[in-house]
Amino acid sequence: MQLEKFYYDNKIVKAFGFATVLWGIVGMLAGLLVAIQFYYPAATFNFAPTTFGRLRPVHTNAVIFAFVGNGMFAGVYYSLQRLCKARMFSDKLSWLHFWGWQSIIVAAALTLFAGFTTGKEYAELEWPVDIMITLVWVVFGINLFGTIIKRREKHLYVAIWFYIATWVTVAMLHIVNSFEIPVSLFKSYSMYAGVQDALVQWWYGHNAVAFFLTTPILGIMYYFLPKAANRPVYSYRLSIIHFWALIFIYIWAGPHHLLYTALPDWAQSLGSVFSVMLIFPSWGGMLNGLFTLRGAWDKVREEPVLKFFVVAVTCYGMSTLEGPLLSIKSINAISHFTDWTIAHVHIGGLGWNGFIAFGMLYYLIPKMWNTPLYSKKLATNHFWLGTIGIVIYAVPMYWAGFTQAQMWKTFTEEGTLKFQFLETVTHIIPMYITRSIGGLLYLVGAFIMVYNLVKTAKQGSFIANEEAEAAPLHDEVPHGKRHWHSWIESRPLTMLVFSLILVAIGGLLELVPTFLIKSNVPTIASVKPYTPLELQGRDIYVREGCYTCHSQMVRPFRDEVKRYGEYSKAGEFVYDHPFQWGSKRSGPDLAREGGKNPNSWHFMHMFDPRQTDENSIMPAYAWLYKNDLDIESTPAKIRAMQTLGVPYEAGYDQKATAELEKQAKEIEKDLSSDDKVRKLILMENMQDLHKKEIVALIAYLQRLGKDIKLAPKAETASN
Amino acid sequence: MLLNFLKHRYTKRSFLATVAAVIASPVWAAGPPAKQSISDPVVISLVLLSLLLLLVIGILANVLLGAAKYEVEEYKKKNVPKAAAVLAIGLLTSISSFAQDTKDAAAAVVADDGLIAGMDSTTFYLLMGVLALETLVIVFLLLQLKGVIKRIKYSSVVVTESGEVVEAAGKKTGLSWWDKFNSFRPAEQEADIDLGHDYDGIRELDNRLPPWWLWGFYITIVAAAIYLYRYHVAHSAPLSAEELAIEMKAADARQAEYLKKAANNVDESNVKVLTASTDLDAGKTLFIQNCTVCHGKNAEGMVGPNLTDDYWIHSGSVSDVFKSIKYGWPDKGMKSWKDDLTPNQMAQLSSYILSLKGTNPANAKAPQGELYKDAPAVADSAAGAKDTAIAPAVTK
Repeated sequence: MQLEKFYYDNKIVKAFGFATVLWGIVGMLAGLLVAIQFYYPAATFNFAPTTFGRLRPVHTNAVIFAFVGNGMFAGVYYSLQRLCKARMFSDKLSWLHFWGWQSIIVAAALTLFAGFTTGKEYAELEWPVDIMITLVWVVFGINLFGTIIKRREKHLYVAIWFYIATWVTVAMLHIVNSFEIPVSLFKSYSMYAGVQDALVQWWYGHNAVAFFLTTPILGIMYYFLPKAANRPVYSYRLSIIHFWALIFIYIWAGPHHLLYTALPDWAQSLGSVFSVMLIFPSWGGMLNGLFTLRGAWDKVREEPVLKFFVVAVTCYGMSTLEGPLLSIKSINAISHFTDWTIAHVHIGGLGWNGFIAFGMLYYLIPKMWNTPLYSKKLATNHFWLGTIGIVIYAVPMYWAGFTQAQMWKTFTEEGTLKFQFLETVTHIIPMYITRSIGGLLYLVGAFIMVYNLVKTAKQGSFIANEEAEAAPLHDEVPHGKRHWHSWIESRPLTMLVFSLILVAIGGLLELVPTFLIKSNVPTIASVKPYTPLELQGRDIYVREGCYTCHSQMVRPFRDEVKRYGEYSKAGEFVYDHPFQWGSKRSGPDLAREGGKNPNSWHFMHMFDPRQTDENSIMPAYAWLYKNDLDIESTPAKIRAMQTLGVPYEAGYDQKATAELEKQAKEIEKDLSSDDKVRKLILMENMQDLHKKEIVALIAYLQRLGKDIKLAPKAETASN
Repeated sequence: MLLNFLKHRYTKRSFLATVAAVIASPVWAAGPPAKQSISDPVVISLVLLSLLLLLVIGILANVLLGAAKYEVEEYKKKNVPKAAAVLAIGLLTSISSFAQDTKDAAAAVVADDGLIAGMDSTTFYLLMGVLALETLVIVFLLLQLKGVIKRIKYSSVVVTESGEVVEAAGKKTGLSWWDKFNSFRPAEQEADIDLGHDYDGIRELDNRLPPWWLWGFYITIVAAAIYLYRYHVAHSAPLSAEELAIEMKAADARQAEYLKKAANNVDESNVKVLTASTDLDAGKTLFIQNCTVCHGKNAEGMVGPNLTDDYWIHSGSVSDVFKSIKYGWPDKGMKSWKDDLTPNQMAQLSSYILSLKGTNPANAKAPQGELYKDAPAVADSAAGAKDTAIAPAVTK
């Protein structure tokens, strides 16, 4: 058969590779800054965009979608062309994808800094950016499938199975989780409320980990690891079983983020058991990676690329064992809301995602510049700094999480809580300091890599279009017995459909009953919609990212009931668009905050938390005392809520502003009856307090968790 | 393979890094030294056990070092000294680090006040962690020893060849437990299981699934079915809300038991000012936990009145203060604390508040209420002097 000559597009890989490095450094710097803010609150610079609540989403979005995202695209664009023996389907689409994704990242960073957020973790981006993501993802999909369809290799290699599953599942997750009603250009409300919003969000959140941070990276591992080691993949059978089992089971595991919450028990149990069943399918990937190195361990000693891959795959194995263990309720009762989770995700993020990306870059740059790596020694140093950095990051965080959970749960013999919340935070400050050192080491390693890669590129010459030859696709004469699975390997669209069906099953079986069966969210008659002022205050709560440190979910534990009050019920959140349960308690839970502290306390506290308690690590929110509340948006917000089914009376949007002002003035009056508040107002020369954002936020906080106290006991006792 | 992997030097280095971090953590976590619990038999036996294990580690390490030294000599003869030297250094440093670890752990044991099983839970888990770590080190050393012995044995058989050839010669003698465990095929049979795939040069083998992997997967599926059956079909295990009920019941029983012993029958008719420092400290803690929000960090008054001056809205005798705390003045924003605090705690709190009189904190709120004559308080504190003797009886 006549061989065809064609060229691989290396330029697009170079661009994505460059973006990976750039955004990786940016994301890690943001991470280092938020880590420092834990023990040095002044590092927020008293500047709204750099407070923890806004910077933390910048960090998570930057490392997930910018760093790992670009790394994924670099790896996919490089490996896909070679596995399909074809150039990318369309260079135009490739560059549209590249620049589209970079503009999403820039838009994301700017909007998050500005406080435009949906308040849903890892899906914080507001609706215009959500639409951009959808469009760019479609571009990527066309390019991906276009390339697969015009391939010169009949069967699809396992890496491509993972790419296909990634594409289709991320599309599904992103679209379903992003249903929201726009109120203005940069403000929207989630279509779902409370328990349902929580379930959809964590179905999304967990599977963003699964299908953005895991499956594409596994695909990349399946290409680069055997290439770098020059060894055959250990077991084809294992690839098949672990691929299908992984994508089917993963999608069910979302509710393990909501154990002991107001989510119905059956959904929690499904989340638990599917997580446990996930251990071995995940480990299939680790085993196929490590066993592929069988007979090549001597190369690992010499080759930095393989060193990175070995630790990455090992970290993958460790975190996919730890994840299921954390999904067991009795362990989750300790780990959830603490730094244990933070340690866990960083084993995955720094170890698995970061090290695969680094290993891949050390492999790609010399190949594409046709030169050996500038310095293997520097790369090895990077490897060691990174590895030690991970350990120094993770161990103190495990320790901190465990310690804090124990302190939360310690009672005196008299039956009172032994530690105040703040004591449990100040106690683990040394661990926070240590982990930032670990993070710093990791970052220094990354800088060493940049130097090494730049030097490598300088000494080589870039091959923008790499020549290759292959026979065109033809019906091959079957030689010998084919494996049954090879049938689907030559049918990419069938594989797409099968993957979609498999990942849809788990989602549907968990989401649909929670939405349709009323007993899953029992109604509590005394729970009423927020007043206009409270609603505005809630939006400020979301904007400032309060949920990144404060949960709103009292779990049914003795210590939490004692510390915060009655445990949270599903019916309490029916008007919460979006839910704000949170996932980490760097500060106390706020689900029952209403009425606990006087208005004046909140006023003094948020102006400067260190005045109220010198050990507090909360940022100061001075701008809330200067910014006027955006009252004009109130009617539109009320109407949006009405559309979502919140029972404000018809025409309430017209009365809302007047009611808002009335409530604000009441709070102002109450505030100015306090000596200290009066002193502060005079000192800071604050004017027209009732018009300021702080009053709305106080109104919201004072409402939290109050409604249920008005309910007759019987109504809340069940559930 | 994994065993070889364990022997590589980077594994050892990351191991050392872990150890270093683990050593550091308990030191930070220990916090200010409090009551000692060293006399508790459980603590003593655990510490002894950890020392014993340390001794075992020492002996093993000694043997291993001897063997390693021998190996180094042998390697030197063959001009391949690097690996063994690194091995020896790795071992030396890891042993000394572990010695340190145990010492710190022992220090941490005495640094915390013992409450649960003779120690607080952090100490307990710390100690357990040290024991587990020591066990791990022992296993690690044993494996190392086994490896070294094996290598020495083979090297004495094949004297003239280089190190790698020796190892290769060793592999031929049969499948290790690790090979069997994973159902590995010998490397020579690789060609038989090559599937003939070629994806950009990547070949694929048709290796069997590791049996433990497959069985593990089956077991998790069965476990999942059992879990769902127990919780949602048979209802033989408690769901979240039931768990809470069980927990609360047990805690209430424990508390009732404790209160029976703890001479708690203080009320407003017989409360006395307590002056023992343990009571005042307890009162201070309670104050910080419960009162500062309204009365200020130093009781200087915020929303609630200043508690350090001579003016009282609801009178300032110990019995009046006790009453204010117990029943509250709900109409004025002062809540009733009788469900949150035990009578003894309310007595401690009242006493602490009265002890603040005349402290003149900064930012004090202007006086509210009526001047309360100190005279009865003097009588009270005279009674308080007598109370010093009684106080311990009250607290215990």
